[in-house]
Amino acid sequence: MTDKYNKVHTSRRQFLRNAGALALAASPLNAIAANDTSEGITFADGPRPLVRYPGKRELILVHTRPPHLETPSSVFNEGVITPNDAFFVRYHLANFPTSIDPETYRLTVKGAVKTPLSLSLAELKSSMQQVEVVAVNQCSGNSRGYSSPRVFGAQLGNGAMGNARWVGVPLKTLLEKAGILSGARQVTFNGLDKPVIPSTPDFRKALDIEHALSPEPIVAWSMNGEDLPFLNGYPLKLIVPGYFGTYWVKHLSEIEVIDHLYEGHDAHFMTKAYRVPDNDCMCVAPGTKADKTRPISTLPVRSFITSVKANDVLPVNRTVKLRGIAFDDGSGIKTVDVSMDSGQTWRSATLGNDLGRFSFREWQLAISFKNKGSAVLLVRASNRQGEIQPLKADWNPSGYRRHAIESTPITIA
Amino acid sequence: MQRTKKPILGLAFTLIATLITPPTQAAPNQIKLPPETAKLLESTLPGYTLATQQCLICHSADYINYQAPDMTQEQWTNEVFKMQNSYGAKFSEQEARSIGAYLAVAYGNAKATDASVVSASTPKPKPSAENSNAIINVQLLFDSNGCLACHAINKKLVGPSLQEIATRYKGDAKAKSKLATSIQKGSSGKWGQIPMPAMTDLNIEQANALASFVLQQ
Repeated sequence: MTDKYNKVHTSRRQFLRNAGALALAASPLNAIAANDTSEGITFADGPRPLVRYPGKRELILVHTRPPHLETPSSVFNEGVITPNDAFFVRYHLANFPTSIDPETYRLTVKGAVKTPLSLSLAELKSSMQQVEVVAVNQCSGNSRGYSSPRVFGAQLGNGAMGNARWVGVPLKTLLEKAGILSGARQVTFNGLDKPVIPSTPDFRKALDIEHALSPEPIVAWSMNGEDLPFLNGYPLKLIVPGYFGTYWVKHLSEIEVIDHLYEGHDAHFMTKAYRVPDNDCMCVAPGTKADKTRPISTLPVRSFITSVKANDVLPVNRTVKLRGIAFDDGSGIKTVDVSMDSGQTWRSATLGNDLGRFSFREWQLAISFKNKGSAVLLVRASNRQGEIQPLKADWNPSGYRRHAIESTPITIA
Repeated sequence: MQRTKKPILGLAFTLIATLITPPTQAAPNQIKLPPETAKLLESTLPGYTLATQQCLICHSADYINYQAPDMTQEQWTNEVFKMQNSYGAKFSEQEARSIGAYLAVAYGNAKATDASVVSASTPKPKPSAENSNAIINVQLLFDSNGCLACHAINKKLVGPSLQEIATRYKGDAKAKSKLATSIQKGSSGKWGQIPMPAMTDLNIEQANALASFVLQQ
């Protein structure tokens, strides 16, 4: 849009370098803590800067090209819906259009169908029943930076997630309009993003036909009441509630029904990447490889405290209202518990408004501390399937689906 | 009669034209991405030049800069092989090992003096670099410096096509020296947001030869 979005801010490291010349008495440390973009992770090149991209407020830079931006943790305490301008951004391939004409945009549905479709945005929005869902989009590698031992990949904190209200048409309706032929096995999805060099695989994803024909996946054009932000997939994005963000294809332009399991060069992001160990825990012994893998799928149950940051100072003998979020794959959050004594005892939090089973669920709990000194807050959620967050994180070679209990060190004074 | 029909026909055409033009055509949604400023950590290891020329074709340097510290040479080298085997990067096995050695020294826990780094960092022979009196083979220079990964003769890839460059500099008396400088020292902001890396292995004769070749397109 305009140059005002293109301001790259001085990195914290740069700031530290500059501040190093000053006397420590100037105490720049408070300013640093308020703007911490490392969120507890070490990087080979020091902490990351905040940057502004088109349509976005200041977000944490993960990578410049293709763009990869993380939502600062403070945003999750602003409300249960993540604002469009704060929603995380993640591309895989740098060759994507920076200009999209909504008048000429077409979504095609082809392959093993009776009637291939080529729909304009106007046709898509006017000719079919619209649906709405509030759903969490979480990157498979969210929190990868906390993997121990560390693994390669985007070194993410906890900001590659967000919760939004999506409006579109059910994928099922589109597929039924085209008419699925018998023998269909999977449906593949492709967007306008392309590899820079032809030897790199395209970014395409596949869902099993049963999942594609379930009521849940939708082709959305609206996010929180507005057009999708450009960098979140304008003008169309596949929404797969309960599933990791890797399936939420941006700039969605092609849907193809196939009569086999997706394979080949452009199936890379199904057949080689975004895979987890093929066992119950989807984990292996730290530092080892998996014998067999399968595509990553649904979100494990997770919870966060949003009202308290690491190293905050809380008052002794005063009521403190803790607040946070919990979410899962759509089974539904059952309980959220908080521990103030390293997990020996747990107190039940009160769940807030239910915006739907795929949404962030708010929780609150009033606590007070009897003793001064250092303390650790733990938060743990369970869902209606009986899944509960583990105290110790498991490990997989790609650093996917981290879901251990989060701990927040604090000081009581 | 004909004289009276003409304006009516004209009016009819105007009406039809109005009807088939959408009344409120939404403008294309456009964005401008921020400039790319991240750079790889400099090094005298040959893998640094290779990394600058190869890795940055597909992604910015911060993909590397923000990895975890303390990764080993073996881990970094495996990561470079992954770029070759899974993502189609166009370098040889020896070049992959050289890039891995540089990355492990610059970002990981290896030292430039480690025997494994030294052995992986053997410079690639540059056929036309030794003797400046030899006839410079422009085609070989293009191939051996990875130019064709980003530039084609007649279409835009990562960078502008050679023909686009030639057209822009047509009539500029200093075109050759400007281009030779951009090739040797790198350049940014002239053609878009993705910077051109410095081709530091080239001497001025070679850079001039490449510049002349580009301007002939």
